[in-house]
Amino acid sequence: MAKVTIATDWLAACAGCHMSLLDIDDRIVQLLEAVEFTSSPITDLKHPPEEGVTVGILSGAISNTHNVEVAKMFRERSKILIAIGDCATFGGVVASRNMVGTPEALRRAYIETESTVDGLIPDSPELGIPLDMVTGIGEVVKVDLFIPGCPPRADALFYALSELLAGRTPVVLPPEHFVYD
Amino acid sequence: MTTVNLKINDQQVSASAGMTVLQAARLAEIDIPTLCDHPALTPIGACRMCLVEIKGQRALQPACTFPISEGMEVQTESPKVTEARRFILHLLFSERNHYCMYCEMTGDCELQALGYRYGIDHWVYPTYTKRFPVDATRQYFIMDHNRCILCRRCIRACSELAANHTLGMRQRGADSMIHADMDVPFGDSSCVSCGTCLQVCPTGALVDKRSAFMGRDVETEHVKSVCSQCSLGCGTEVIVRAGSVLRIEGDWDAPVNAGVVCQPGRFDPLYEERQRLTTPMVRKNGKLSEVGWDQALVAAAERIGDDGKKLGVLTTSNATNEALYLLAKLFSQELNATNVGLLNDVAPKLSEKDTPPADISASDVILVVGADPVNDQPVASFFVKRALDRGARLIVVDAEGNGLAPLASLQLNMADIRKAVDIAKRADSPAVLYGAGVTGKAGKALKELEGKALFVALQPGVNTRAAAALGLNNGFDPSAAQTLFVLAGEQEWNGKGVLDRMVKDAFLVVQSSYESPLTERADIVLPMAIWSERAGSLTNTSGLVQMANAAVEPKGQAKPDWEILSLLAGKMGKGLATSLDDISALAGDQLR
Repeated sequence: MAKVTIATDWLAACAGCHMSLLDIDDRIVQLLEAVEFTSSPITDLKHPPEEGVTVGILSGAISNTHNVEVAKMFRERSKILIAIGDCATFGGVVASRNMVGTPEALRRAYIETESTVDGLIPDSPELGIPLDMVTGIGEVVKVDLFIPGCPPRADALFYALSELLAGRTPVVLPPEHFVYD
Repeated sequence: MTTVNLKINDQQVSASAGMTVLQAARLAEIDIPTLCDHPALTPIGACRMCLVEIKGQRALQPACTFPISEGMEVQTESPKVTEARRFILHLLFSERNHYCMYCEMTGDCELQALGYRYGIDHWVYPTYTKRFPVDATRQYFIMDHNRCILCRRCIRACSELAANHTLGMRQRGADSMIHADMDVPFGDSSCVSCGTCLQVCPTGALVDKRSAFMGRDVETEHVKSVCSQCSLGCGTEVIVRAGSVLRIEGDWDAPVNAGVVCQPGRFDPLYEERQRLTTPMVRKNGKLSEVGWDQALVAAAERIGDDGKKLGVLTTSNATNEALYLLAKLFSQELNATNVGLLNDVAPKLSEKDTPPADISASDVILVVGADPVNDQPVASFFVKRALDRGARLIVVDAEGNGLAPLASLQLNMADIRKAVDIAKRADSPAVLYGAGVTGKAGKALKELEGKALFVALQPGVNTRAAAALGLNNGFDPSAAQTLFVLAGEQEWNGKGVLDRMVKDAFLVVQSSYESPLTERADIVLPMAIWSERAGSLTNTSGLVQMANAAVEPKGQAKPDWEILSLLAGKMGKGLATSLDDISALAGDQLR
């Protein structure tokens, strides 16, 4: 039987959600018998293949125009799109920026920091442009499953993937895997 | 009482007329989620979490305020109800900062629990970006307005339970904010820091400074105990983690206070800075040296000897019934010591029947005579203020500066007691709250109200009623003793009145929890466990005997007050009872 393909990436994130994915420990071996990770931020291939994957997994908030592009590409190339972690579901820690506003946050981070001399707000054309409001991924594209948590528990991720492999798509995670922190 | 029959989720339920749908559902153990509702507070239907479907009603109705009626049919988890609750949660989450991952209350938050229950795994409305202030001006707890859901539990706790009316609401709609007085920082307000608002807050808006981020509720143990800060005997829950006390809360089930405690009860014991005594000490060559318990007790027993006439005994009222009983038994009865005294005054007995302080709520005239509950028994002052809110008239008969004076319609000197008694005689249901400040003449005048008025004794000190019942307030003269035994316990006292009056070479044995000028002068120091470390019973000011449980282990070698006295009695060859239960049984009715 052909393996189920999974692509994953992080948007405005701290990598904690992907650490949690690795935290499923030896069960990852069991998982790899049935799935193939086509691309991830921690492998050589970064982008999901053009022919698409079965499952796309995104962590991180929508914070800039680049995040929007990646989210849209993942939506196009994935049959099932999963948002993992509080940033991807709610905006999370990244959304703290909303309380002060983007210009203020950039000024504080790149110019006013105590250790900064002659600060400069990065404006290279290669970079995504920060948005006025940080949001979860659901604000930009349709998401099929949300797995909140900071980070989502390894067991929650394993549960969701196992359910998908069994041909079931959970609508909401069961209580034992459902946390906001 | 009329019974009403209704159906909740197709289950037949019978409840008393006048109950709300929520109360009837709880009676039948049917769970309806709530946020602004609290069992100790008047329901106001603010949050709409408890919406239910009632047959014949056009819209969903809040269960917390909707009265039951005969034949009513209620659905508490129908699709329509669930959808409405999810919608309300989305609205709540869309305002202010409800990101759980860095909140102190995560794991114990009622809003979060409802988010889980209704599967809120992402937010459908854009979040609100207005930043609200954080007010940390109060000494003991913080108000983070960004975490507030405007349920108004704190406002109701402040007005209904503490009857202090500090908290209110300002602005409208999404800009609404809890504020104090005429919008001043909480620390500068009329707040009395009782912390009742802190205890009822469902989210992380009100956070205790000392125990913040020290663990979730599931990681803690709640030990029911009795406060020993004053003579009211309020029930408490001591919240413990890994052998340390994190926090004290009021016990909602307690007969005296029904959940409310005051600043000295909730916070003071955790901010104690005096140096603890943890090892027994005996004076050798002019210096106090650490010794084992056995050596210290043998030395004390030898010195105390058999002759009660040479002995002086002084005790704090902040000791368990068991300790006070052993003290009286050992020194007054076995050794016939008569120079026995108590560190605080005792209120006279003015009535055959003592009324619990909470029972004055229906009184129309309240006399407060020779007592200052605002400063000495704050929870009793809450009861007075509650009665005033219901329209009672307050007459304070005391010296200048009584904490209740600003609320009194009449303030009198003790000499004018007659006037107060005459007003009380004309009232329908007067109450007299009196303390040790009542003079003989005033007491006599007040006794005329026997049978008419409720009498509430407000004893100074802590376990004063039991100490007085055991005859420990016999009058103490330090200059008449060659050997002094002082049970100082936890009392904050510098030894004044004893150190300056005792015979120069008198021998001083001190049982105490903290270092003080008294223990510095002592010849033998017996380290005593504090309130959180000892079990024992306490008799409150109206005669209620309650067991206080130990929450943590004693520090160092310190021992509970009664155990020290039991061991000392053993060394003196006066084998008295040695277990807490045996001593409690022996002490029995003498303690009321």
